[in-house]
Amino acid sequence: MKTRMVALLLALVLCLGLAACGETTDNGGSSSGSKVIEVAIWDNNQLDGLQKIADEWSKTSGYKVEFTVPGWDGYWTMLEAGVSGGEMPDVFWMHSNNAEKYMNAGSLLNLDEYIAKDDSLDLKNYFEGINQLYTFNGSTYAIPKDHDTIAVIYNKAIFDKYGVAYPTNDWTWEDFAAIAQEITEKGKADGIFGTYCNVGNNQDGWYNLIYSFGGEVISADKKSSGYDKPETIEAMKFLAEKILPACPSPDSMASTGADTMFLSGLIGMVSMGSWNVNTFYTSDNAEDYAWVMLPYEDRNGNGTCEKEERCTIYNGLGWAIDAHTKEADAAYSLISYFSSKEAQIKQAELGVTMAGYVGCSEPFAKAFGDMDVSPFVQIEEEGTLIFRPYSKSTAIWEDDAYNALVAAWSAPETMEEVVRGIADKMNKTLADE
Amino acid sequence: MIPNCPEGTTFRAESNIMRKEELLLKKKKKMTPKAKREAIWGFVFIAPTIIGLLILNYYPIIDTVWQSFCKTGDFGIGNTFIGLNNYIKLIHDSEVFSTLWNSFKYAILSLPLTVSISLVLAVLLNRKMRGRGLYRTVYFLPMVCAPAAIAMVWRWMFNQDYGLLNHIFNAKISWVTDPTIALIAIVIVGVWSAIGYDMILLLGGLQDIPKDYYEAASIDGSSGVHAFFRITIPLLSPMLFFIIQTGIMGALQLFDLPFMIMDQSSRAWPKVKTITYLFYEYAFEKSNRGYGAAIIMFLILIISVITFILQKTEKKWVHYD
Repeated sequence: MKTRMVALLLALVLCLGLAACGETTDNGGSSSGSKVIEVAIWDNNQLDGLQKIADEWSKTSGYKVEFTVPGWDGYWTMLEAGVSGGEMPDVFWMHSNNAEKYMNAGSLLNLDEYIAKDDSLDLKNYFEGINQLYTFNGSTYAIPKDHDTIAVIYNKAIFDKYGVAYPTNDWTWEDFAAIAQEITEKGKADGIFGTYCNVGNNQDGWYNLIYSFGGEVISADKKSSGYDKPETIEAMKFLAEKILPACPSPDSMASTGADTMFLSGLIGMVSMGSWNVNTFYTSDNAEDYAWVMLPYEDRNGNGTCEKEERCTIYNGLGWAIDAHTKEADAAYSLISYFSSKEAQIKQAELGVTMAGYVGCSEPFAKAFGDMDVSPFVQIEEEGTLIFRPYSKSTAIWEDDAYNALVAAWSAPETMEEVVRGIADKMNKTLADE
Repeated sequence: MIPNCPEGTTFRAESNIMRKEELLLKKKKKMTPKAKREAIWGFVFIAPTIIGLLILNYYPIIDTVWQSFCKTGDFGIGNTFIGLNNYIKLIHDSEVFSTLWNSFKYAILSLPLTVSISLVLAVLLNRKMRGRGLYRTVYFLPMVCAPAAIAMVWRWMFNQDYGLLNHIFNAKISWVTDPTIALIAIVIVGVWSAIGYDMILLLGGLQDIPKDYYEAASIDGSSGVHAFFRITIPLLSPMLFFIIQTGIMGALQLFDLPFMIMDQSSRAWPKVKTITYLFYEYAFEKSNRGYGAAIIMFLILIISVITFILQKTEKKWVHYD
């Protein structure tokens, strides 16, 4: 059966060919001899800055650092496939949405030993919430890379047009609501609104309000929902009664995003995350825009802002290492350098992001030329940083809350009832964790 | 969901097929050595496709069936068998049925429109007329565009404050946020983007109908509408059957249009959310692959039943001569 042998051989060659294809892509990355550390990130805006910092490290280590930037969706598909298929980049970013899943699966390198041996790195220097996020069963699996905060951006042109005074850092949520309503009132004929807050704007919107009012989304032990706390309900009712009436209709907000509307000059002011700064900095009307700190809620009624009365949600990425990398020492040396004070300051200077290292973000405030973004940094001194609420099942209860709140946005008077319903459902989800 | 090590298994399956083929050859005993060689080479040449199908289609299908009986762990590690629990949960989950009903509503609204409009267009464009090529191109163009791009453009046209449609009609219609009309808006886009393809298929069918029939019919006094229903429709029925069958499957699997055109914070979302989106939500957003797999198995079952019924009725109205 000569022909049969030929056929089999051909099929074999085909299979080998396929396998070989798989090999070649691998050689670009984690194979040991080539002295390359492969790093995966999802944000193209940060690539140039990080490459510069990595090049500094290459000078002393002798390793080349190669970045791949697959974009947010592609990034998680790649990592997910990497964990199941065993082909991972050496070093990569971790995010609060997925950290628990990856730590639980044992796909991240346990960094305890490395950190213990490393004199240059002390986790106490980094934001506590980010440290906690990347701690699993008492061990550390990622080192803080950066953090983000929230501030309010306002359009000076709109304030001028309607003769409304610019907001200052010394303002309360009542002031915020009053200004928003005034602009909405005066701008009715032009289709201009005071502010914007959609259901999905939790981290950069109503979460901040809840914590400023003294409420919470999830309890400190992550065992129960905070939605039924009186302060949380008060905050959400304030949102429904005072802020939502100054926003475009829920139907409009469901059709057009906050950034689009703001950039089109239809929104007076809106709270935004520091990760968005570049969008506004590079836009056509950048000179019209200015930033101000989030308002506070004068809970004790003494007329001044106490630290805990002004709250911003923050979140932070971490640098993680593949548990099965062949270059664990070099990879650790790289992430330790990325998180060192020197590199963290450089990261802020280059306008990449604010630092994960506490007190190194000052240069970020000046990284955008004429646009002063100091409110993002200032709130760290004059306010309280609350880590973005999370638990093992964040994706489930956040989605449930989201679906329930759509109804409350259309009928604000039902807010209390809706929020209590969210608490019940969330408590059940948390009990199942 | 990358299969762990499928190469080996498929290779084995592949050689199994070959062995079976050889048995067949022996039984028949009519094949000359040359014919035998040709048959074997035939298999060698289709091997890449078969291997691809096995790895990319059949393995995932079997894996999905298995997962639907599991409480799945992350990354496909640590799946535990829980029997029918996912299916029991599914029967009691009202959202499964409301989203399934949404998918059905889409199919019921969009399919008759797509088929009738494309049929009329095909008949009109089958005549000799000025600019026929231009019209055919224009109607087929939506097929050439990426569905995501189409959806994004429609999303802006539907925008209630700044959209083109409301601007032209000088109205304030909440196209994709009003629960009563949002699905109709989706149907409009779906029909608009599907008629081109169906029209081309029907044109192909029309051109296979010999002119003699119409000539004979006109001698007997039948023409126009009468000829259309008595000659065109019956002779076009195989193509119509194909279009209707694939159309139902496609409509029940609708995912991209609502996902791209609507925002989830729209109050109309629960009235449009399709069952394939529910599957996506569980499998990829809430990382509950097992339940997601059960939902999609349920959908496959329903589509199979419908296809089966359609196949049974086929003989009654489809003419293959």
